[in-house]
Amino acid sequence: MTENEIVYHGELVKPRALYRRGLVFILPGLLWIAFFLALPCLSLGIVSFAQRNDYGGIDWTFTFDNMKRLVGFDLFGWSADNLVILGRSVMVAAISTFLCIVLSYPLAFFLASRPVRNKGMWMALLLVPFWTNLVIRTYAWLIVLAPQFPPARFAAYFEMVDPGTALYPSMIAVYIGMMASFLPFVALPLYTAVEKLDWSLVEASFDLRAGFWRTFRYAIWPQTKSAVALGITLTLVPAMGMFVVPDMLGGAKYMLIGNLIQEQFGTSRDWPFGASLSLALMVITLATLLFFNSKARANKERRS
Amino acid sequence: MNKIFFNRFRAALVACIIAVAATAAAATEELHLYIWSEYIDPQILKNFEAKYHCKVISDLYESNEEMIGKLQAGGISQYDIVIPSDFVVPSMIKLGLLKPLDHGAIPNLKNLKPEYTKSAYDYGNKYTIPYQWGTVGLMYNKKLTPDFIPSWSVIFKHTDKHRPYVLIDSEREMIGTALKYLGKSMNTKDKTDLKAAADLLIAAKKDKNFLGFEGGVGGKAKVAGGSAAYALVYNGDAYRAMAEDKNLGFVNPKEGSVRWIDNMAVPAKAPNAALAYKFISYILDAQVGARLSNFNHFATPNAASMKFIDKSDLNNPAVYPTAATMKTLETVLDLGKDNRLYSELWKIIKTR
Amino acid sequence: MKHTHPLINLTAVLLFMVLYIPLLCVVLFSFNASRLGMQWGGFTLHWYVDLFHDGMVLRAAMNTIILAVSSTLISTVVGTVLAVGLQTAPWGKKARRFFEPLINLPVVTPDIIFAVALVIAFGVIRSLTGLFELGMPTMIVGHVTFQIAFVTLAVRNRLEAIGNEYSEAAFDLYASFGYSFRTVILPLLLPGILAGAMLAFTLSLDDFIISFFTAGPKSMTLPIFIYASVHRGVTPEIHALSTLVMVFTILVVVLLRRSEKHNEQTEAKS
Repeated sequence: MTENEIVYHGELVKPRALYRRGLVFILPGLLWIAFFLALPCLSLGIVSFAQRNDYGGIDWTFTFDNMKRLVGFDLFGWSADNLVILGRSVMVAAISTFLCIVLSYPLAFFLASRPVRNKGMWMALLLVPFWTNLVIRTYAWLIVLAPQFPPARFAAYFEMVDPGTALYPSMIAVYIGMMASFLPFVALPLYTAVEKLDWSLVEASFDLRAGFWRTFRYAIWPQTKSAVALGITLTLVPAMGMFVVPDMLGGAKYMLIGNLIQEQFGTSRDWPFGASLSLALMVITLATLLFFNSKARANKERRS
Repeated sequence: MNKIFFNRFRAALVACIIAVAATAAAATEELHLYIWSEYIDPQILKNFEAKYHCKVISDLYESNEEMIGKLQAGGISQYDIVIPSDFVVPSMIKLGLLKPLDHGAIPNLKNLKPEYTKSAYDYGNKYTIPYQWGTVGLMYNKKLTPDFIPSWSVIFKHTDKHRPYVLIDSEREMIGTALKYLGKSMNTKDKTDLKAAADLLIAAKKDKNFLGFEGGVGGKAKVAGGSAAYALVYNGDAYRAMAEDKNLGFVNPKEGSVRWIDNMAVPAKAPNAALAYKFISYILDAQVGARLSNFNHFATPNAASMKFIDKSDLNNPAVYPTAATMKTLETVLDLGKDNRLYSELWKIIKTR
Repeated sequence: MKHTHPLINLTAVLLFMVLYIPLLCVVLFSFNASRLGMQWGGFTLHWYVDLFHDGMVLRAAMNTIILAVSSTLISTVVGTVLAVGLQTAPWGKKARRFFEPLINLPVVTPDIIFAVALVIAFGVIRSLTGLFELGMPTMIVGHVTFQIAFVTLAVRNRLEAIGNEYSEAAFDLYASFGYSFRTVILPLLLPGILAGAMLAFTLSLDDFIISFFTAGPKSMTLPIFIYASVHRGVTPEIHALSTLVMVFTILVVVLLRRSEKHNEQTEAKS
């Protein structure tokens, strides 16, 4: 071994050569992501301070107009609508995520309790809607919620809606659609955790005459916490930016931030305003991720 | 197993490459048409393909704004024909999206009715040739509306007889209709008038009977399907649906409606302008023009086609309005810098 | 775990029904003879026949496949190379703190922000240089960017599972890095690469939002086509198309699970 050489995974090599080779391998991928994701996200920030010219193009004069419009100042004075939409998006995302978590537990336990020879089949059954295109899955609800079918008739019978109207566009339909879209994202990680659950703790808890909720809180929850955290990251963040579900099931009545952004790039042709809306969403996303990240780190530290 | 996978994958890849190469090799001349949905008889396209030994590839859109957006995103060098409405043509010309037409290559231009060669939005047909014209009216489902009155108040007035409705997703046409209901001009620049129209539309949006904004075709589908009682629909689309279902009706309400003229235009960097001109001339042919209008039940600007138009269309006030109705119709005008007012208004209406 | 409370079983089965009933309705109504509305007009297969004559649908299907195949190819290559580079050099903590977030960025960014950022970036580049007109290339770029993260993940997992013994053995026998990689690591890595590729392929087929924003005029894909048609008024032809897409998806899922099971079996044997 000459000076400067090390043995890395059995290979006798100079560190510099090692790093150089490593760089050659990782540079294409990193550069691609940097150029086609990181930089465009930065450009979002820049464009959100530009203006829309008269015919829908970008006018590169620096202005705070879009920020002002974001908080509600438009042609006719102030209105809280944009902020309402932002708030509504976060709320809908949060509630949908919570519903998914609550409903995923029965699903995960059910899957874990299937006999081994059937497990594959049930997993596949869960995966098929998961892999089916979001557009198809969402517009399918337009059929189920139509006026002539049981759900709408049921609601009309109980006077929740006028007879003959469909159950969409409505907030209920949006929640149903969101929940149906994201359920597998939470159910799958949770199922993996439940599979590995240490049942002795649960049995011990029952032996000590603890009720259902205490058992859940002290025996089951701590073991499935990290799976739920993963499910939340996979659900909460995409749900906040979702626009297909509110577009088809909420109509123009229940706009979420995703719809608003999509409009700026479609019929309204106001890219700078769209960019500022996206920037706001990005900030909220980052805040959410950092929040959950710090909680996860705190948990790890507490445990070790 | 992995080897099998790999081989299958390679085989699939080769198959794909061959398919793509085959399509490229077999390419004849292509005409890329970007047009409103359900606006042209598929048989006309087939006849054109046969006559000129080419292939017509159509893409569809639901609103002018959508079309302009796509052109700005690169469509000006990918489409040969687009069909803009009269009120967006001046903006498109200013944005440099359209190509000046070579009248020499369009022999059937002489078939146009004279008034369509002297339009305010494109005098002398420098960039556009009128395609069809019509109105934006009220389509209704007779089974759901036993007490129908031919007025916009069925949508804008909130009584307990109020029924589900769909508004049209078209900036100038929707705001214009609201202004007409209020008795104002569709082209007003008066801020109080505009605010009144915005308030009216926002109230209409917040009503529980509001089902959403759709293009004309989408609204027609909802009324025909029974989920909406009323919708703002282009007259021809409504009439086509009525031909299939006697339970549907259409009217140009008494307060007035938008009268629009759609035009054929060629994007600035069209890949096959020569074929585009042939297409325009083909549509202007007397027989073809009549076939078109008899299919989509809109009114034709083609003088030579008039004698081939279905008598039922000619006598239908919904398609060829009477002189009295014509007085209530108004055309939307491009307002130059003041277009911005309407854009802002539309944005506010959409978000509140 | 043997016994679950019947209430849990009931809830789970209900949830499965909730997930499947809409899809089954679509399949059912694809055979509906009446064109609009929810009335059942009789059983017919002619919508399926119409599909194969509809030029727009065929083109959209072709575009979807071309997009999925091209983006999968590119992202599998780039992602694999990236994963290998990450595992075969002793990167320090500082370097890792720089790489890891960058690699995970596509996974945590909401689709719509990513799509919007791409469209704006392309628009700006287009106004300056005239390149990057929206079309198939821009869509491929968008898809590859988010696929890389998943391919890298799959390949890295596989590399960790393989461990270092094989390459160490090869080096002990005086093999060069290139030789060791080609003949020892790569064959072992193949299941991971294929898993990543299949994942990328399914993600591309499934994607709507990024395609929707970066699609050019002539590069409409099936999800975009279905979305536009829903707004125009859903016909049984769309139901037929959706049914076919679902069948295709089921096939892919079944294939994936078969190959996974096969891999597990071969590994259990060795």
